[in-house]
Amino acid sequence: MSNLAVLPIIIPMLAGIIVAFTNKNVKITRFLSKLFSIISLLVAAYVTYEVFSNGSIILETGDWAAPYGIILVADQLSILLILTTNIIAATAAFYAPHSLNIKQETHYYYTFFFLLITGVSGAFLTGDLFNLFVFFEVLLMASYALIVLGGDKIQLRESVKYVLINLFSSMLFVTAVALLYGVVGTVNMAHIAERVAEVEQKGILTTIGVLLFFVFGTKAALFPLYYWLPRPYIVPNPVVSALFGALLTKVGIYSILRVFSLIFVYRMEITHEAFIWIAGLSMIFGVIGALSTNNIKLIIAYNIIPAIGFIIMGIGIFNQDALSGSIYYLIHDMIIKSALFLLVGVIAYVAGTSDLRRMKGLIHHYPVLGWLLFISAFVLAGIPPFSGFIGKLLLLRGALSADEIAITIIALLSSLLILYSVMKIFIRGFWGEKEENKTYTKKVSAGLIIPIVCLLTISVFLGIGAQFVYPAIDGIAEYLLDPQIYIDSVLKE
Amino acid sequence: MEYIILLLAGVLFATAIYNLLQKQLLRIIIGTVLLSHGAHLVLLTMGKLKRGQPPILDENVTSYTDPLPQALILTSIVISFGITSLLLVLSYRTAKENNTDNMEEMRGESNE
Amino acid sequence: MIFAVLLPLVLALFIPVISKFKEKVHTGIFVVFIPLGIFLYFVSFVGNGFSPVHHTYNWIPSLNINFDFYLDGLSLLFVLLISGIGTLVVFYSIYYLHISEKLGHFYVYLLMFMSAMLGVVLSDNVFVLYTFWELTSISSFLLIGYWHHRERSRYGAQKSMLITIFGGLSMLGGLVLLSVITGTTSIRSMIDQVDVIADSGYLPLVLVFILLGAFTKSAQFPFHIWLPDAMEAPTPVSAYLHSATMVKAGIYLVARFSPIFVDYEWFFITVSLVGIVTLVWASYMAVRQTDLKGILAFSTISQLGMIMAMLGFGTEAAVFAAVFHILNHATFKGSLFMIAGIIDHETGTRDIRKLGGLLTFMPMSATLALFGTFSMAGVPLPFLNGFYSKELFFEATTGLSENANSFASFLSEAIPYLAVFGSIFTFVYSMYFFFGVFTGPKKLELLPKKPHEAPIGMLISPIVLILGVVIIGLFPNLVNGSLLTHAAHAIRNSAFEIKPIIFWHGFDSLAFQMSLVVVGVGIILFLTRKKWSNIYKAIPGKLSLNKLYDKIIGKTDDYSARITNSYMTGSLRLYMSIILAAIIFLTFTVMSTTGGFNNITFDDLEEVAIVDIAIVLIMVLAAISTVFINNKLALIIITGIVGFGISILFVIFRAPDLALTQLVVETISMALFLLAYYHLPELRKRNETIGTSFTNLFLAIGTGALITMVGIAAHSSDWFDTISDYFVETSYTLGGGNNIVNVILVDMRGLDTLFEIAVLGIAALAIYSLIKVRKDKEAE
Repeated sequence: MSNLAVLPIIIPMLAGIIVAFTNKNVKITRFLSKLFSIISLLVAAYVTYEVFSNGSIILETGDWAAPYGIILVADQLSILLILTTNIIAATAAFYAPHSLNIKQETHYYYTFFFLLITGVSGAFLTGDLFNLFVFFEVLLMASYALIVLGGDKIQLRESVKYVLINLFSSMLFVTAVALLYGVVGTVNMAHIAERVAEVEQKGILTTIGVLLFFVFGTKAALFPLYYWLPRPYIVPNPVVSALFGALLTKVGIYSILRVFSLIFVYRMEITHEAFIWIAGLSMIFGVIGALSTNNIKLIIAYNIIPAIGFIIMGIGIFNQDALSGSIYYLIHDMIIKSALFLLVGVIAYVAGTSDLRRMKGLIHHYPVLGWLLFISAFVLAGIPPFSGFIGKLLLLRGALSADEIAITIIALLSSLLILYSVMKIFIRGFWGEKEENKTYTKKVSAGLIIPIVCLLTISVFLGIGAQFVYPAIDGIAEYLLDPQIYIDSVLKE
Repeated sequence: MEYIILLLAGVLFATAIYNLLQKQLLRIIIGTVLLSHGAHLVLLTMGKLKRGQPPILDENVTSYTDPLPQALILTSIVISFGITSLLLVLSYRTAKENNTDNMEEMRGESNE
Repeated sequence: MIFAVLLPLVLALFIPVISKFKEKVHTGIFVVFIPLGIFLYFVSFVGNGFSPVHHTYNWIPSLNINFDFYLDGLSLLFVLLISGIGTLVVFYSIYYLHISEKLGHFYVYLLMFMSAMLGVVLSDNVFVLYTFWELTSISSFLLIGYWHHRERSRYGAQKSMLITIFGGLSMLGGLVLLSVITGTTSIRSMIDQVDVIADSGYLPLVLVFILLGAFTKSAQFPFHIWLPDAMEAPTPVSAYLHSATMVKAGIYLVARFSPIFVDYEWFFITVSLVGIVTLVWASYMAVRQTDLKGILAFSTISQLGMIMAMLGFGTEAAVFAAVFHILNHATFKGSLFMIAGIIDHETGTRDIRKLGGLLTFMPMSATLALFGTFSMAGVPLPFLNGFYSKELFFEATTGLSENANSFASFLSEAIPYLAVFGSIFTFVYSMYFFFGVFTGPKKLELLPKKPHEAPIGMLISPIVLILGVVIIGLFPNLVNGSLLTHAAHAIRNSAFEIKPIIFWHGFDSLAFQMSLVVVGVGIILFLTRKKWSNIYKAIPGKLSLNKLYDKIIGKTDDYSARITNSYMTGSLRLYMSIILAAIIFLTFTVMSTTGGFNNITFDDLEEVAIVDIAIVLIMVLAAISTVFINNKLALIIITGIVGFGISILFVIFRAPDLALTQLVVETISMALFLLAYYHLPELRKRNETIGTSFTNLFLAIGTGALITMVGIAAHSSDWFDTISDYFVETSYTLGGGNNIVNVILVDMRGLDTLFEIAVLGIAALAIYSLIKVRKDKEAE
């Protein structure tokens, strides 16, 4: 039974290999990628069901007992994120053929795509810090390949920067794991947690924790580490941007959540207090960035940063409400960000530009796009009854019960500016008189719209149907607050 | 000895960073190579140095050098190699397409 | 009750279907029955024996977010206004909006608003209230932007959205804070815990949060600036949302929460002060307007200020006067908006400078306007409801109690004068509105259309409202016991005696004397208005809040662009520098403050061997020289030396597998570098400024030192044994291999190895596709 935990990693990997061989025949490749993404989604749903009804699945790979072998831990948190990942992957698989050109497809897009999912799933599942590094490299390598897909000038330019920054943080990761190993003599996360607790997280351990935070913070695009993010995210095809926006930074923030709820939880007055500051600054600079540009893709890319700020705010406050708020917001943001990236991709395609100043009155020609954007803006800003609201409400509740007034006010104000930054696209780009002399010939195929509608529907459901989701998330928060549960389940002592 | 190796790792990091902060792509790539060397040395040192025989089982040997860091380094070496190779090809293509190998000339238009 | 609230929202979904038939039948004809039905449903509750009704429907019980609908006197007054005026407005819109307009959109927004507004005033659950609250802002945004091809509409819509959603979010902060303090999400339970809230120390913050929500929504000074621009919406919308209902949501909020605040003196100070300032400022501003709807917009703001002020007084008399005026204002202002719409519709302009002498063309409208404007002005006539509530207002201003706080006492003293001052302008603009439009010289040549009386259908709605004005004026006690008393009791959260409303209080009544002053001075100012026009123009001149708003919005875009461009330069070096600086600074700080360096020892170290030192030195020299070399071949070779040095170190430190791997990898890397060597340009001298060099040097040495020091500290710790002994023990017995490293790689950590290969595979494929792209491009 416990072998289930490896399926979310293995299926996309096999899929990636198989579609590499069918690469010559685009039709078969497309079909297979849709098929595999659906299979993967169904399996993820089934494993989620198993985890929620029978508890965490711990898989000791190669049957080597923890902490010696590599452990895969499918607990409620990781499996929920894997389910979300697979939902996004499935929508991306259906969107991709309509958005990519044949050349990009035959340059192994689908292989890289599935390996990206492999890496992301692996990062969510692994219970071993060094193995986390390896999965990071898998997903990063796939992202390097995806970002240069097509290989035009700007893509190449931005991807070099992207690769270099990530390479630096990867090497810092190895160093931090090494230092940690030097102190606690193990790389299994549960075992590390146990040992760190034993010596009450002495100074050197806090320092190594900070280094790890920088590693994950760079991937998560937190203040002041996010500079690399916006531009590389907008140069590739929208479907790649959506995958990046939805998944890559989220793996970083997930790692912070995991490591700073499991391992480094004994000097919160230093680490977690700093997170709250970083959260505030990420929100402020993120929304300033989002307001600074007229490029609609860039507006969405900048909006990643305040969202990550919201999530880390909950980790910093670290009480039950705040943590469940972070997790809710994390899932919400994965879905709405991919929807928004896909959406602005279509908008930029039909308008023939991503410069807002050159768009006007689009709603006369593309009403569906307009209303999808309108709803997305409110979902993103956390206006009820949509998904963002539930996460934000929980975060605010957590913050206010911890007397964190300043961050509450920053969070509220940045919500307004987030709304404004996206609504700008609606007001300036979609409203306005019909341009009679300009003809919009580009048709929007249903294949582009349906994935967006699916994602938005899920977003709306996460808000209106919070009753079906929130109790589970609340349970996860409670579980995270007590690291001993995780440690015991892995080390079985 | 361990501290000397850590010092060496420090020097490798420092020179790596200095190269990373340069403009020319080749220098930057050399920086990343040095960076991974430094990281691997730290990892090696953390398993304590020369505390036994090479980790190959032998009936006459009772103490072995810590094998785990070695395994980790091996994985990391291969991964670094993969990235470096990609980076080389990428840099070459980028320099060709953009007609420069100067990163400061590859800033792009501001915020557009 | 949930049906009544959600019915419009649900039916709104069918509007697009209905509007398919719009070629033949105006969509409004279907829609009008929705508010009418709701109105009739709620009317059945009205009566002297009314007692609150409570219905609960679960939504998200785990978060205590449920549809708790609680209909008390205050809610009843509002639901009747919403559904009643809603019916009239929809009916009016059938004639106002031509069948060729996008009626589907219009009625969807309008019904959405109706649901939202009903939800706001019926929800006892604060988060459901907030949900509906934002929905009113959203529907208002869409309605203001209904004619979005106009620049002004877009501007107004964006402005209203920014200001009201800003307030909404602030209110959310207050509501969350209240729910955290009291542990409940029900307003009534919160009111029961007034002491808990007062003792929490958060009362001031809660007050600020909630009031910001209320003031923005109800267009109180200085947040009123969105309302005049909201007049870009079709007139039925202005009459409905921006006069009778939505803008009163802020009033409702203050009324609803006032039991929590009423004993807190800053509640009195803030709400009264803001209310009275709004009253004075907006009625003054109304006089300056030339657009009929502009006059009415400022008039609405000013009247809202008056109601707000009365809620701030918090006395029994003031609260009663407030609810009375809520009702009265809805009747006369609603009808005046409709008349303004009629004038616009029939003459083609709303510019009062172009209008005049319309009495003969539009006698019916003129009569209605006469009643409306005179009621608004508070002219003491027994058939005008506006007079009654205005006089109750004056009475309330004079009945303010002594206060311990000296500022509060001063304010109590000043309020009656300010009230009179503001009301004088109210009188002036009311007269201006009526006489400016309907009397005086005709200016037909300025009108785009030849004026004529509106069709009877269009007049029905204002007639009904004016009938309301007159009937309430003649028989004020008709609505007193059955409706207003319950509302006032609900606001005070206690039953108190309410005197019957009477017209004549006698000449010695202070309130009546105030009314006389208003009318007297008002007439003088109105008659001599030409002489004052320069003053009206000069104040506020350039200091207007609108300009401030425009500046803030403009600067937001401007400054955010400037800030962002200042660091998002696309320069890798800058990005890296910032990241490195943050790492060095924070890690060192944490390390030294947590005592991370304390445990450094020089025990447990291996001895230093000469050969090792020699190799290390060579590597150090090689590494440092990479910085200075300007020849690319030399650079590559020197880097190779470092790499081969590492292999030798691996040999020395008993890691044969590593040494071998490193050798192989290093060799291949060298080959790759040499391949790239042909294609990459020659190295140039590092021509950097001294500052740049210094920063680079600092960051480089900082990082190096950091790694060394943290490494030494980590190495010095001796709290734990590594888990490696297990690998030594089981390598052969369980793993079946003598080479422990190999066993670890393929067995214990097989997953690492598998995905390490995956990484290599992706890299290979990526390189292949990169090269293929180039080939393809060259082929083209």
